[in-house]
Order: sequence, then C-alpha cells, then structure tokens
Amino acid sequence: MTLEQILSARPSPGRPRTYEFPQFERTVLPSGLQVLAVNLPGRPIVAANLVVRRGASDEPAEIAGATVLAARAMTEGTQHYPGVELIEAGERLGATLHVDAGWDAFTVSVDVAASRLRAALELLAELAERPTFPGSDVARLRDERLNDLLQVKADPRRRVDRAFTAALYTADSPYARPAAGDEDTVPRLTPDVLRGVHRTVLDPHRTAVIVGGDLSGLNVPRLVGAALGSFGAVESSAGVEADAGTRPPRAASAVDRPIVRFYHRPGSVQTELRIGHVGLARRVPDFHAVQVMAAILGGLFNSRLQMNLREDKGYTYGIGAGFDMRRGPGPFSVRTAVQTAATVASISESLAELRRMRETEVTAAELAAARDYLVGVFPLRFETPGAVVAALTGVFVHDLPDDELTRYRREVEGVSVAAVQKAAQDHIHPDRLAIVAVGDADAVAADLESAGFGELEVITEEMPADAEAGETQEEAE
Amino acid sequence: MTAPSVRFTDERLANGLRLIISEDHLAPVVAVCIWYNVGSKHEVPGKTGFAHLFEHVMFQGSGHVAKTEHMALVQAAGGTLNGTTFFDRTNYFETVPSHQLELALWLEADRMATLLDALNQENLDNQRDVVKNEKRSSYDNRPYGTWFHKLGEHLFPPDHPYHHPTIGSMEDLDAASLEDVAAFFRTYYAPNNAVLSIVGDVEPAQARSWVERYFGEIPANPAIPVLGDMSLPPIIGAESREVVEDRVPLPRLFFGFRAPVLGDLRYDALEVAAQILAGGKGSRLYRRLVREERIAQDVAFFTLGLTGGASLVAGHATARPGADLAALERGFEEELERIGREPVTDDELSRARALIETYEMESLQRVDERADRLSMYATLLDDPDMVNRQLGRYLAVSAADIQRAAAEVLRPDNRVVLTYLPLTETATGTTDEETAA
Repeated sequence: MTLEQILSARPSPGRPRTYEFPQFERTVLPSGLQVLAVNLPGRPIVAANLVVRRGASDEPAEIAGATVLAARAMTEGTQHYPGVELIEAGERLGATLHVDAGWDAFTVSVDVAASRLRAALELLAELAERPTFPGSDVARLRDERLNDLLQVKADPRRRVDRAFTAALYTADSPYARPAAGDEDTVPRLTPDVLRGVHRTVLDPHRTAVIVGGDLSGLNVPRLVGAALGSFGAVESSAGVEADAGTRPPRAASAVDRPIVRFYHRPGSVQTELRIGHVGLARRVPDFHAVQVMAAILGGLFNSRLQMNLREDKGYTYGIGAGFDMRRGPGPFSVRTAVQTAATVASISESLAELRRMRETEVTAAELAAARDYLVGVFPLRFETPGAVVAALTGVFVHDLPDDELTRYRREVEGVSVAAVQKAAQDHIHPDRLAIVAVGDADAVAADLESAGFGELEVITEEMPADAEAGETQEEAE
Repeated sequence: MTAPSVRFTDERLANGLRLIISEDHLAPVVAVCIWYNVGSKHEVPGKTGFAHLFEHVMFQGSGHVAKTEHMALVQAAGGTLNGTTFFDRTNYFETVPSHQLELALWLEADRMATLLDALNQENLDNQRDVVKNEKRSSYDNRPYGTWFHKLGEHLFPPDHPYHHPTIGSMEDLDAASLEDVAAFFRTYYAPNNAVLSIVGDVEPAQARSWVERYFGEIPANPAIPVLGDMSLPPIIGAESREVVEDRVPLPRLFFGFRAPVLGDLRYDALEVAAQILAGGKGSRLYRRLVREERIAQDVAFFTLGLTGGASLVAGHATARPGADLAALERGFEEELERIGREPVTDDELSRARALIETYEMESLQRVDERADRLSMYATLLDDPDMVNRQLGRYLAVSAADIQRAAAEVLRPDNRVVLTYLPLTETATGTTDEETAA
C-alpha cells in the first residue's frame, strides 16, 4: 500500500476497557467525623484531605475574607510547632501541608508516601486543631492581602474578574466580594476574628477525612481515629447556626436588564471581557444536561465560541464559557481577551452564540462530540490519588449521593438534544447579562454606545500609587 | 520509597523515527507524545516566532484531516491534547482512553506526512491573528509581562538563538509567508527529527505495528541542517541591569543568571539549591524577606533547563509598599551569595531531598508526564533512561555540590537585575484629572 492509501483509511476505535470510578469505604468515628478511604493499588503517593463544610460564604459580611485568611494563617504556627516548624516537620516527611478555604469548604491536605501516612496525619491534626494565629504574622498576612488587592487592580484579567462578580450580585451576597476579602474588611481581621472562624471549623459533624492511594497494609480509619479522634471535641463550635455549611448563601442578581461596565485602561492592546449573569448551584437537578450544554457552548476546544471567535475570526487566543457551581448559584460567564479593535464585534458574536444556544437545537453531531468527550475523558481525570480525593471532596462538600461519580457517565450518555436546549433556555438569560470589560475605552466607547448592548457605564480608575496601601499596625497577641 | 522504574523499549524505524514504548496497565489510558527537535533556537533574524506559529498551523488540518478536526477527533475520543514550543523543541501530545491509541497515532502521522496538502493562506492568516492575540494576552497586556524576554536579551548575546523570545515579534509574525511554512515543514518535520513516546495501557507489539503502518513510509529528510555552535562563556562577564517602567503598583526585582546546560550535574545542584532558597515557607528567601524582614510580598527562585550553551536560573521578589528596594535587592543577593559561600545544613538538604522525592514520584504517576519526559530526555540528551535516573541524581547532590555550583553561577558578574517600577506620571503623559489605570 502507498502512504496515501494507508492514511486515507481512518482507524476505528478498539473495544473500550471497562472503567468504574474507584469504590470508597466510609467509616464514621464516634465523634461523627467521617473517614472515606479509597484504595488505589500501585499509587505510592497517598493524598489525604480533611474537609469541613464551612467556607467563605458562611462568614458574616463585615469580616469577609476571614475564612481565607484563617486558612493562610494556620501554617504560621501551632501549639507544639511555633513558626514554620510544622511546615519543616512536614518537609522532613517529603510532605507539603496545605490549608485552603473556598466559598464552600475549608480543607487541610497533604500528599505523602504511604509509609509515612501516620506521621503526616499527626501533623495534619496538629495543624487543623491547634493553630495559634500569632498577631504579628496575622498582621503581615493581612498586609499581603491588601497588597495583593493592589496587584488585582493592575492586572486586567484579575481586575475584570473582580468587577464582574461585583456587578452580578447584590451587595448583601457574599459572592459580590472576593472570597479573600476586600479593602474594607481585611483590616478588621484580627487574630481573635480568625480564632473565631477556626472554632466554627472544628465541627466533626461537618467534617470528613478522605484518603486515597495504595492503602495496602494500612488501616485508614484507625490511623485517622488516632490522629483526629478528638477533632472538634475540645473547642466546640457552640454558637454556630446548626445549618451553616449546608445552607446556600444569599445570591440575588443585581442586574435586571443588560448592562455594560467598561473600565478604562488607556493604551490597552486587548480588552478583557466577561459576559454573564448569576448562574447555578452545584445541586441543580439537570446538572448533566448543563455540563453537556456548556461544553458545546464554550467548554470543548472546538466549542461554538472558540470556532467562531478564534478559529473563524481570529479575535482571541481563547474563549470559554461555563457555570461556576457552588453551594449557592455562582456566576455563569463567557470569558475571553480580545484585541482592542475587535471588542464590539466580539461582544456581538458572543451574544449571538448565547441566543443561538437557546433558540436552536444543537445538532446530533454536536451532542455526540460533547457527550463522548465528557464520558471518554472521565477515566483520564482520575489517574492520580489527588484527583480521586478531590472528586470525593466535592461529593462530600455538596452532600451528593454516594454514587454521584459512578453514575456520572451513564447520566451524561442519557442527555438528549431536547435536554440540552431546555438547559440553555432555563439557565442562559440574555435579558439580564452583565458585560464587564477592562480595556481602552477611548478606542471603543463610541462604537459600544451605538451597539446598544445595554446601559453603558465607563469607569476611569486611578492607578494605586506606591506606598499608600498595605500597611496595618502590628498588634500584640 | 523505591526509585522510579519506568521500563521501556527504545528503537528506530528505518526512516529514523525514534520510538519509545512503555507499558503500564494500571489505568485504561495511554499517552502519545511526539517531540520534534526544532524550536525557536532554529529561527533566523527576521523570522522570530515562526516555530511557534508553525505549531498552530499543525492543528489546521492535513491531507486527511480538516481544519480543527484534529481537536474534534481527539476530544470526541475522550482524549486531551495540546502542543507547545520553546527554545529547544516543539512537542505535540494526546492522552486518550487506551482503545483510541490508533486514532492518535494516525493523526500524528497524517500531519507529519501530509500537512502541506491542507495548508492555505486563510488558515495561516487566521492563526497569525490568534498567535498575535496570544502574545498580547500572555505578555503585552500583563503586568511585568516582559520580564522573561528581557532576561533573555541580557543573558544571551544578540547573535545567540536564545536572545529572542519564542513568541517572536509582531513584525516578524506579519512577515511569515506560506513559503516559509512549507520550507520549515520540509526541513524539520521529518521522522528522523522526531521522538515518539507511547506510555500506558498499550500492547507493545500492536502499537509497534501501528507505528510502522502509519509512520513507516514517511520519507526521512537526509539533509536536516545542523545548528551552528551555540556554546557560550559560562558567565556573562559583568552585571547587566535595566530599569523598566510598567503599569504595576508594586516594584518587582527580577534576577537572572547564565547556568550550566541540562544534564550537567551542576544544573541538578542548582535545582536543589532553588528548593532550599525559595521552595515554600521554610525556605531561606521566603523566611528572611517575607516573614522576617517583611520587605517582600513574595519571592521565587527556579531553574530553566536548556541545551544550547547555557541554561538559565532566575528569581524575583515583589517589594511591599514603601519597602526599601535597595535593601530588598541586597537581601536577595546576600542569600544567593551565602549559599555559594557556606554549605547548606543537613536538615535543609534532607528536607529538600524529601520534597523532591515526593514531587518526582507524584509526577511520574501520570502517563502523560512519563511520555513527555521520555521524549524530552531522548530529544535533548539522547538518554531516555534519565527518566529513571534523574531522581537518584537529585538525591545524590551534596551540600558541597550545591555550594560549588552556586559559587560558580550565582555571582555578581553573571547577574542580570531587572527593576520594574510603577510608571511615573510624566511617563504616562496623563493629567491629574485623568490618571491612568
């Protein structure tokens, strides 16, 4: 055969190997803390994650950022390991200990060789249970956050993200603010405030420890019980509302008709664009149809938005769209950066794609492409213990059924053309879009005005000057 | 922990294609990774950015694959994919469910054999626009976005291929023609200039027969030009400094050094040194400048391995508002000087080793990482077994090795310092009423 003959015959796939999401075993300790263990033979580096259903959206508005700052400050010293000694003790095990907080959950995690899991869990427990929040270090971290807010202003993509969520949500929604707090709230975050947040985290009934990797020869519930059996027993979470951590936060839309907010940055060579509205919570009933719909619109490499704005028009290096699903309705957004001259055209094309998603059915080929991708890529996503543990963490945080991941592929395969269109009609709302941009307003404002996308507001900000922000007083412990 | 044991076969087809296969049936996935021995170091003046623009063209269709269909087919097969370009090389990779291996091989073979059948002006113009937007979004419209390009300009002389950035210049991108694309393809995209690695849930005999079938008839290029001598003096000879005004609120100092090439034991020692200097909260630079003196908002220090005469080592520190920039620079430089003057402690070294060990073992759990490293070591060092030996090399680095390598490399007469400062008002040309954001 000639090369031409060989290459002109497309290969067909072989027989797929069966794949099931790994099974986990659940144990509930006497304290109420859950232990989820998932054995992954041949994976010598174990991932362990302590997760509490308590996140930034559960904190009072006046101390916004306290949960994230508490997480950052926990590695600044514990009762038995002052300063960075705990971090160093972890490093001797080859383990990096992380504390993170997001909107929905608080996590303390470690990746470590299976043979050192016991010692790593002891450090993890010390970190989770006995941080001291030294005043001087808390002050420094507060300053670092305020300085970071200056950097946000200077970075177009971070600036537009912040402006976008501020535009979408009413001011009484936590999602209107950055999860790590803003210029008003961060200065209030004293060590006592962080200690208060930490006490609310110490609730075994809202906590799971999820461990994945090659667990042969390890009794994970016993190891976790030994290290964390008293988690939450000493300092109770008294005073916390019983349903905090399961109740979605207030997340009302501040937008009732299309608006355009353009942040003027003279001389910008690109416009950073976000277009969207208040979206969906993770527990939305048609989750799988939404996933397929979002993949077709802006998730796949060859999504409608990419094919139009990148591969046809060349306006951008990349464009995506999707739903940031949280315990409450996080934002739905189209996200891109486009060359300045293509700003108005890019908004027009994006809006046209949003309308088309609602108004016309996807083709059978589009549906198949998205469905086959989501189903086929599923095993690739869970090659490592870290990925498996992260997925189970999501199941716990959102209180999803135990078989959420095992039935994922079946559910996606069942999504129909009609279900995709219904998801688009139910969840994409062109009548209340916020279009938020950072770019050169002088170059585009006139065209933007005449395009009539919505009520236009052009905002000129002062560049933060050096040496003005970011210094708060140190305080004694 | 046990050392990595990636077992693989290493062979060449008659046309010169180097084929590496590594079997691992743990997960039902397989990674395909092809490295071409061509990067931006092969570009000539006036044609910068070309290797990378070409990488984009590789996704615009080939003899039997339509524009963007490569992505569509891989994603519909449940796979992930991409391509990247850097100074020394260009790579393309797919990770797919194992029953889709043949598709990935066919796609790579079709574009290696027949790319020019699908090449047209419209696709080239479209990807030129996409790449120009990539340059804008990754560099031009980013605070401090020019630092890497500037370091390259200072560290490597104007006639050295690392002097210019991989992304190239707007003017040169504009000048790229269809003829350039065709010539580049014919010259460098030949089987004898590529390494193909297949790692994961694969039956080697079957994979080998597919590779023979799809790649075996692609003609070699017997006349791949040999790159000129890229060797450089080990140090730049005198400190080189530049002050850059940018739209940033906080000053940031960047440091760069010329370093030994990838594969040199001193390069490994510098990697361990970087961990001790700036790897996490217990590291020297973080502890001193961020935690104790509190003049830095953040610090970083890292190596970037290259083969053409020198690698580079770089770092940065962002100043806190009102911090004394001279003190920040002095503090950073003192720590670099100290690690070359006195040995690191046993505890620092054992912590760094333990972290590197976990990191390496964790990385090698993934089939795509293993495939990438096998192709990388084969392409750059002609030694794919480095995938198994690299960790041992890191763990064998001694305190004396670190001290020696640091003293040789992290010295003032081998140093580039870039000082990024907030734009002054005169530079923006704006008035008080209209201050720029």
